[in-house]
Formats: sequence, structure tokens, C-alpha cells
Amino acid sequence: MTGITSSTALWYASRATGVVTLLLLTAVVLLGILVNRQGRLPGLPGFAVTGLHRNVSLLAVAFLAIHVVTAIADPYVTIGLAAAVLPFASAYKPIWLGLGAISLDLVAALILTSLARARMSRRAWRAIHWLGYAAWPLAVVHSIGSSADARSGLVLGVLVACVLATVAALAWRLSQAAREIPRAGRAAAALNRMSARKAGLR
Amino acid sequence: MTDSLTLPHPAMASGVPSSVPPGPGLPRLLPDAGTVPVDLRAHLATHGPLRAAGGGDGLLREVAAAGLTGRGGAAFPVARKLATAAEVRPAPVVAGNGAEGEPASSKDRSLLWLSPHLVLDGLQLAAGAVGSRSAVLYVPRNERLHIRLAGAIAERAAAGMDAASVELVTAPDRFLAGEESALVSRLAGRPALPAYRPVRGLPRLAPGRAALVQNVETLAHLALIGRYGAAWFREAGTEAEPGTMLATLHLADGRTSVTEVPLGTSLAGLLGLDGGPGLAGTGAAVTEGPLGTSLAGLLGLDGGPGPAEAGAAGPGVPSAFGPVQAVLVGGYHGAWLPAAAAAALPLANAALRPLGAAVGAGVLAALPADRCGLAETARVARYLALESAGQCGPCFNGLPRIAAAMAHLAGPRPDPRARADLERWAGLVTGRGACHHPDGSVRFIRSALRVFAAETGLHEQGRCSGTDPRPFLPVPATSPATEEDWS
Repeated sequence: MTGITSSTALWYASRATGVVTLLLLTAVVLLGILVNRQGRLPGLPGFAVTGLHRNVSLLAVAFLAIHVVTAIADPYVTIGLAAAVLPFASAYKPIWLGLGAISLDLVAALILTSLARARMSRRAWRAIHWLGYAAWPLAVVHSIGSSADARSGLVLGVLVACVLATVAALAWRLSQAAREIPRAGRAAAALNRMSARKAGLR
Repeated sequence: MTDSLTLPHPAMASGVPSSVPPGPGLPRLLPDAGTVPVDLRAHLATHGPLRAAGGGDGLLREVAAAGLTGRGGAAFPVARKLATAAEVRPAPVVAGNGAEGEPASSKDRSLLWLSPHLVLDGLQLAAGAVGSRSAVLYVPRNERLHIRLAGAIAERAAAGMDAASVELVTAPDRFLAGEESALVSRLAGRPALPAYRPVRGLPRLAPGRAALVQNVETLAHLALIGRYGAAWFREAGTEAEPGTMLATLHLADGRTSVTEVPLGTSLAGLLGLDGGPGLAGTGAAVTEGPLGTSLAGLLGLDGGPGPAEAGAAGPGVPSAFGPVQAVLVGGYHGAWLPAAAAAALPLANAALRPLGAAVGAGVLAALPADRCGLAETARVARYLALESAGQCGPCFNGLPRIAAAMAHLAGPRPDPRARADLERWAGLVTGRGACHHPDGSVRFIRSALRVFAAETGLHEQGRCSGTDPRPFLPVPATSPATEEDWS
């Protein structure tokens, strides 16, 4: 930890964007669980949560791209373009970078299928979207394994917070799934909710 | 396409006659009397046996030349759909869609009741054109209609007229039951719910089993094009939108009528907004209330311009049936237009689309000046929200929220922020459903916000221009709540 110089800037950029990407991916998973269960956020209509889920995921992709590009460009360790996308092709920390590469590929599949969602069957899209539950833990393990920062101090705190939040959201999702409204009654249930809240303004 | 038709289809066997007989004048689809259903003998006496102009894929060319478009609402070119279906192997099931889930429309059930053999002819022609021997007629759950159609199908089968077997399938009484993918789902034995489906190609019941779905009125037009050809078809309508269509008119005096009109007919003439008698179609059939109940006598009630508005708060346009403030064009997925604007328009997409409206399935409602447009819209918005299939979050969460805000706006002294909220939520649900239910519902509600803007201002001041509290637009009373209601 000697300060940021021209020779270490890329290294720092890669690590920093890695942490931000993990935070954003965690937010995407939490929002995705919320969307799946038609959950709400304070101050937002229920259906705007979906928009947030999409937009945060695109933001995560932007940071993920910077994270990967800076890691490749950084001269300190040699990570080829191939190692970024092909699992376990890296000479440097093959296991940990390999897990990151798998996570990257899964995220790419999620994003591409979601962009092409109108052109594919809903069943196929859903099946691929389940991969989100694999991409996120892989990214967490990749973070712990490939970075010594993540094993102590502030970054460790961030990681632990992300894991706890996701585990809590998963538990909530499972409890919600147990008491699901059948689809024929959903609009009526929503309408009753709105009427009870006096026209549902704000 | 020619070699895909390996067997000469019996429907095509008669080929093209040496000289095409003169086609019927107007009305084309509905009986002149407008009241007496046409039985098989009368049908054959009027139109002669089923013919496919040109034979084989000649029918496809004829339909393309006629420029026939789907009359279920989407106005998709029929020739293109038939051509796609003719390439599909194994041959698709051909389905005549008469579900007509739209409560404001009764043209399909009127047609099925009055001229069933034109629809059945069209079903056979479509089946022949795509090489299929399996057809389905998808109709509302109505015992009298079912018995009549089953009788007509059996009579034709006994006479050996039909090459394709026809099965009657009942549609659940839901707004979305006639949506194409919902129909296909029903045919496959699943609940009649809209589904995500590929953008290209025909919808599928199962892998390797496609369906060609056409509205029943479209099929009736097809039957006539097969007999009288494209040039005859184009004698009515406009160059861009040829032919006639059935329209369901909700007149300002509360009466409902189904009439057949050439495309391009002025809305003013139809709704009596021009000082004329109204119903300027061909006056073929006027029906109201239960299926098949004839009100043809009402045609005589066209006694010139209506009474001048007395005590009407809205800037109504006088019509033969009373002052009108706004016209709903295209049904509950359509758009409101101010009466003065509508009076200057023809019934044609070329003129309506720039104003955000469309011909749709031919529903026109002239809202009387003494009703509150916001209250009418709120009632329909609530109905549309409850008709959500409950499959897509933006639809089953967004539409109830929008409906509740619309009800708030229709009430006394609404929050001035309600309008902006409605616009924002409307934007959030558009394009976000598996089917077009959210889009269509939002189009309808947004048009109300535009057309009844002055009324919104009145409501904010605690006033309302509506003096007659009776509902005008038809909305079914019951709102189903179980999965069985879809099947």
C-alpha cells in the first residue's frame, strides 16, 4: 500500500472497481429478489423496482467492464484477454481468477438474454436468469480469493455485509413464495390495496 | 407455395368461374333485413357454393390484391398471414376467432348469429389455402349461439360441403380471452391466458403444431372475396383501406347498434354528428341487449338533428341522438377524441392514427354531453385492471394503481398532483406486458386525460359537468377471481 503512482493506478482502479462491482451486483440480486416477489421500496411504485433492477444491473456491467479492462491492462501481473473470459486460463491465481471469469460469463449471459428478452421464450429467459444465483456467489469467492484486501479491514466488512444482506433476502424470498397470491386474484388484490390507501397517491 | 398444396383441396375444386358474378351490394356480411339469421339454403341461394377465386394459391393472390386486413383490431394484412401459414408443415390448425372479449363490441357475435355460413365458408377457404383439414371456431360462452353454430356445422358436414373438420371451442368470458396467444393456449387445453411468444411466425399449440388465427369477420370477408374477387371487394372503402367493416355504435341516446360500413365513412355520419340521421352505414343490422335481439325498428327513429343541448355543461356537438361531448374510437384499448374533432374524421386508420386512435375492431361510442368523461373512464379503467391476467408485474400492479388514481380524479377535489402521477405511471407500464393489455389500457386512459382536461380542472374546483349519473359505457358487473374463470 504505497500510494497511487502512474505505475500503480491501474492496479488500484481494478481493485476499487472490483469492490464497487460486487456492491452493485449485490444490489442487483437484492432488487431481483424484490422484483420476483413483487416487493416494494419506500417511495417507489411496485413496478418501478423492475426499472431500478435493470438500470443497476447495467451500471454493474459498466463497472465490471472497467474492472476487467484495467486488470488486463495493468502491467504488474499478466492477465490476458483470454484469461478474463476463459475459466482457469490464467497463469496468475488460476483458481480465483477462473471463478471470476465464470462469473463474468454468467453475467454476460444474463445481460444479453435480458436485452433480447422480447425475442425469446419466457421459459428460456427465466431458466437463464436463474444463473444469477450462481454468478453472485462466484463473484464473492473470486473477491476473497484473489485479493488480500478482502480478508481484513473495510473491504472485509463490505463483503460480510453483502453476504448477510443476500442471505437475509433469500430467506425472505422463500418465506414469501410460501404465501403467493394466485395470478387470477393478483389485480384484484392490488386494487383492494390501492383503494384501502385512498387512491394510492404517492 | 403451389407445390405445398399436394392434394387438390375440395374447397378449391370448383376453381375460378368463367365470369365472376356480380357481387352483392351493401350490406355484404349481414342480411338485408338485419333480423333474420341466414340459414344454409338462403345462404346458398344468395351466394352459391363456396368458391376460391383462382383456385390453389390464386386465392392468396386475390386476397393480396383485395388488400383485406384483419378485422379483429390489429388490421394485419391477411394475405401475409396466409402466405406464412401456407409454408408451415405440418399444416396449421385454422382458428376462427369470435371470442370478442371487448364488452363494448358485439359485431362478431352478431355476425356469427346472423351469417354463420359466411364465417364457416371463410374458415374452409383459409384451411384450403394453407392445406389444413383441421379448423376450430372459437366463440363466446352462449348456449343459443352454440346450438345454432353446432347445427350449422353439422348441416354442412351432412351435405359433404366441408373438407376441414370444424370444432366449436368456447371462450371464457374474459377481456383477454380473444388475444391470439390466449386463444392458442385455450386450444392446447390450457387456461386462455396470453403468453410470451416469438415475434416471428405463427403461434404454436405444441411443438410442430401451429395455429392460423383469423377474426370471424375477416373470414366472412374472405368467403366473399373467394366468390366475387378483389376488384369487387375494393368497390367499397378507400384505396389504402379497402372493403367494409362491422362497427358497434354506442349512440348518445344510449342505444347500441351493429352496422356494416365501408372504411372511410365519416364518423359524423355514423354517429349523427353532422345534422344527418346517423347510422350512415348500410343500416344492415341493429342489435341491442341479448344476442340476436333485433332492434331493426330503431332504424326508423332517425328523425334528423337531435334536440339542442339544454343545461348540458359540456361544449357538446349536437347529434341526431342528443348532444355529444367526446367519441371513443376503437373500444377500451382505443382512444377518446373530442366530438368536434371526431366529427371531421373518417373511419380509417390513415386519418385516425396521427391522432393516436385506430379503427380497431370498430367500436364507436358517442359520449353524451351530460355524462362525466372521467367517471366513465374510471369505471372502464377499473374493469381493465381487474381483467389483467395477473402474469406480468407492470400490468397487475400498475393498472390497479392507475385505475385507483383515475377513480380519485373522477371524484370531488382530486389532488392536483394526481394527473402528473397518472402520466408517469402510464409511461412505466407501457410496453412491459407479455401481451398489449397494459399498452392498450394506458392508451385509453391517457386519451381521457387529454380530452377531459377541462373536466379535471372542474373536479379540482369541486365541480363536475356530468348531470346524469347513469353509466354509459358497458362494463360487465362481475369480476372473476379464480383460475377456472380463464378456462
